[in-house]
Amino acid sequence: MSSNYTVMFANLVIWAGIFLFLFRLDKKVSDLEKRK
Amino acid sequence: MVRKYLQIGLFVLIAGVIYFSFTTPAPQQIIGEASRIFYYHIPMAWLTVVAYAINLIYAIRFLKTRSELDDFRSHWSAELGTMFCVLATISGSLFAKVTWGVYWTWSEPRMLSIFILLLIYGAYLSLRAAIPTPERKGIISATYSIFAFPTVPFFIFIMPRMMQSLHPADSVVDKNLHFTMGGTVLPIFLVSLFSFTVLYFWLLGLGIRLHKVQLARFEEA
Repeated sequence: MSSNYTVMFANLVIWAGIFLFLFRLDKKVSDLEKRK
Repeated sequence: MVRKYLQIGLFVLIAGVIYFSFTTPAPQQIIGEASRIFYYHIPMAWLTVVAYAINLIYAIRFLKTRSELDDFRSHWSAELGTMFCVLATISGSLFAKVTWGVYWTWSEPRMLSIFILLLIYGAYLSLRAAIPTPERKGIISATYSIFAFPTVPFFIFIMPRMMQSLHPADSVVDKNLHFTMGGTVLPIFLVSLFSFTVLYFWLLGLGIRLHKVQLARFEEA
């Protein structure tokens, strides 16, 4: 079960990284749309 | 502002899926821990179908409107579909290694069918890259999409069921279309399916918005 927690935390970190990237990209696109 | 809260909501949903998929009992006791991949592998295969269907819809729309934006929407959805198809192939291959002892076998109809699907849409992307004129590229690739899409339900849903396969059968619904999952498995699976579908539409929208900004800049210049 402890290895399950390790994999779970690794997955959470990867998902948080992907989400932050997309969240910031979305914000950048919104700023560009406003400037347009 | 609403969009920001929806995005944070999506983050919480997928984080919840990750948490519960690893802390609740494994979906199939016979297969064991490896069956947890089920929460990710099936949504990836599902999104492959959705993305290729959206590719077809915008391809047909492009042939009517000849709008460059519709061509981009169709192309972008095919790229996302191919990404999900690769993810479904990788997750399926990992599952195969744990349960059958090999990463890949050509005698398994599911593996063969997803490989052919990757080749079909790989050819679509190569075809687009090979045509320099934008309108000609749009017309030829939209026509290709119309002929390519009928193979998607065939290779994902029909062909693997026509042949003998080691792949777990009826893992979502049985022949009478009743859910075969019980306990905590069904809610986690449905939330996973829903949240990954929302993620796909976010990615699709993000790419389209970015393309619109680029088009506007190009027209200004």
